[in-house]
Amino acid sequence: MSGEAFSFNLAETIVKWLDVGIFVLDKNFEVQLWNNFMAHHSCRKSEEIVGKNLFEAFPELPKPWFTKKVNTVFLLNNFSFISWENRPYLFRFAHNRPITGGAEHMYQNCMLLPLKAEHGKPEAVCVMVFDATDTAIAQSLLQEALEAISEISNRDGLTEIYNRRYLENRLSSEFDRTRRYGGTFSMILFDLDFFKKVNDTYGHLAGDQVLIEVAARVKEKLRTSDVLGRYGGEEFILILPETNQEGARVFAERVREAIALEPVIYENITIPVTVSMGVAEYQAGMASYSSMTHQSDLALYASKAAGRNHVTCYEPALEKLAD
Amino acid sequence: MSLPILVVDDSAMARKMLIKSLPADWDVEISQAENGVEAIEAYRAGKAAVMFLDLTMPILDGFGVLEALRKEELNSMVIVVSADIQPVAQERVLSLGAIAFVKKPVSSELISTVLKQYGVI
Amino acid sequence: MSLASLSNDQRDALQELTNIAMGQAGASLAALLDEFVDLSVPRISVVELADLPPALASLVGKTNLVSAVRQSFQGYLRGEAIIIFGEPGCRALADLMGFEGELEESGENELLLDVANVLSGACLGGMMEQIRAFTETNGPAELSFSMPSVMARQVMAEQLIDPKKVKWSHALLLEVNFTIKNRNFIAHLTMLMPEEGIEKIRHITDEFLAAF
Repeated sequence: MSGEAFSFNLAETIVKWLDVGIFVLDKNFEVQLWNNFMAHHSCRKSEEIVGKNLFEAFPELPKPWFTKKVNTVFLLNNFSFISWENRPYLFRFAHNRPITGGAEHMYQNCMLLPLKAEHGKPEAVCVMVFDATDTAIAQSLLQEALEAISEISNRDGLTEIYNRRYLENRLSSEFDRTRRYGGTFSMILFDLDFFKKVNDTYGHLAGDQVLIEVAARVKEKLRTSDVLGRYGGEEFILILPETNQEGARVFAERVREAIALEPVIYENITIPVTVSMGVAEYQAGMASYSSMTHQSDLALYASKAAGRNHVTCYEPALEKLAD
Repeated sequence: MSLPILVVDDSAMARKMLIKSLPADWDVEISQAENGVEAIEAYRAGKAAVMFLDLTMPILDGFGVLEALRKEELNSMVIVVSADIQPVAQERVLSLGAIAFVKKPVSSELISTVLKQYGVI
Repeated sequence: MSLASLSNDQRDALQELTNIAMGQAGASLAALLDEFVDLSVPRISVVELADLPPALASLVGKTNLVSAVRQSFQGYLRGEAIIIFGEPGCRALADLMGFEGELEESGENELLLDVANVLSGACLGGMMEQIRAFTETNGPAELSFSMPSVMARQVMAEQLIDPKKVKWSHALLLEVNFTIKNRNFIAHLTMLMPEEGIEKIRHITDEFLAAF
């Protein structure tokens, strides 16, 4: 069916009223067509814009970049796209969601189309501007939700420090990074002394309070890049990037003292707390990070054997002690 | 005597397309080669007074053939027939001694124009 | 004949068709970047979906990190083009496109999308041109393209596609490599089409073969 059956030009009328921005540029960036979407959002009428240079009419446009983009369409005779994910907008239009909003402006996807006779070279470029604000808002909400979920899934429910899952991932990535780019890092494995007795004597709620309090005390001592997590039961791990064994030992002593300094008070009960700690440093040639957890475990065992409330650094002689 | 011409392309289809685009009344003896190494062998056997040469081929590509032929004092009219239509590729093959560059897909008009231009037909 | 197979003649014809189309894509890329682009001989295969991840891995090297862009096309042919970039190439691109200094990630993504769009547009456009010229098509043989999007940044090639999430059982894999010497830039263009697309391609190649 052709438009001739109507008293108006079918295609022209649709282009004019389509809820998509449509404008056409010639090789000199002179505007040849400017539909109602463009006119209404820019508050610049078609009569005002057509025949004008685009950049003179809209000096705020990113001229070098957009010129290159349009010229590539002329040169290669190929369509091209602009995504709001890379550039939020081409024209800074307001969006129509003053109430449901959350966005400062209309997010836009654009498509650039070469216009030409069937076998000819492009004579003009048509730019279509799509309102992508809904997608952008939905995506940012989704992103926030995903971040919240990933945060929750990495945290220990009781102490709110990192959990075992996160610790394992972090140890693995820290290990790979150090192996690839050099440098070093250390880990400290520590656990609460006589924790079973705390639970048996004062009950699990008291035990929980001790775990929360210990986590909080260690957290205060952390430097920015240090990672603290609960490895399981009453066991904790500290990951110390860019720290050698001696640095880790000094840090471990500070943590040990901070914990032992004051008892934990739970419902008027005074519960003395101490921890035993094992330190291990990355060594070139280790097969995986589990070598480090093994070594820190041996060192921790030595601290227990030395009477608890103690810090031990791993040394090869400890391997024999374990047998 | 018929003129010995050689069609070099890894694609049988491309060779067929080219042979079909040759002038119908041209008295020629056609040989074919699937890669650069076969092309050089055929050339040495005197089967290539005119050679239609593709550029992208396995084993030895068209650039390699041109370089090898130049070392042997190129004694063949090489017309490069290629889909690689970058201007730099065209300049390169011409500087390596090819007489003309024809872009794929070929047509009888394109081939005739080139052959007439060089007085081959 | 099984769905998954192409005869030698069909494969050869398709390879030549692809070769010509890729030549145009290469020329467009060269014009965009103002560099000479080396084109590989196209490889054609029909793969089962389960074999796709290892096929992609062997294409770009198992241990190499890659970034990838996807773009769907519809109309006369329907499918998805996947353009895979070797990791050092992503950084080389910023240089090639005349951006100096550090680019933000969104800027780098934009370059990948632009280059991917040029490759898939020119290549499929070239194929359609030949299909229009050499075969009898019912109605206008045209394609439209959707906006490309970044599929993955810096992953192993094997992880690009999860076969469990793909509905098609077979895919036509057209591979060509675009390399820029001294720039460490390499891009692989592959096209995936569903079964009926493979059937259509087979039909086109037969017409092609009959025409010559």
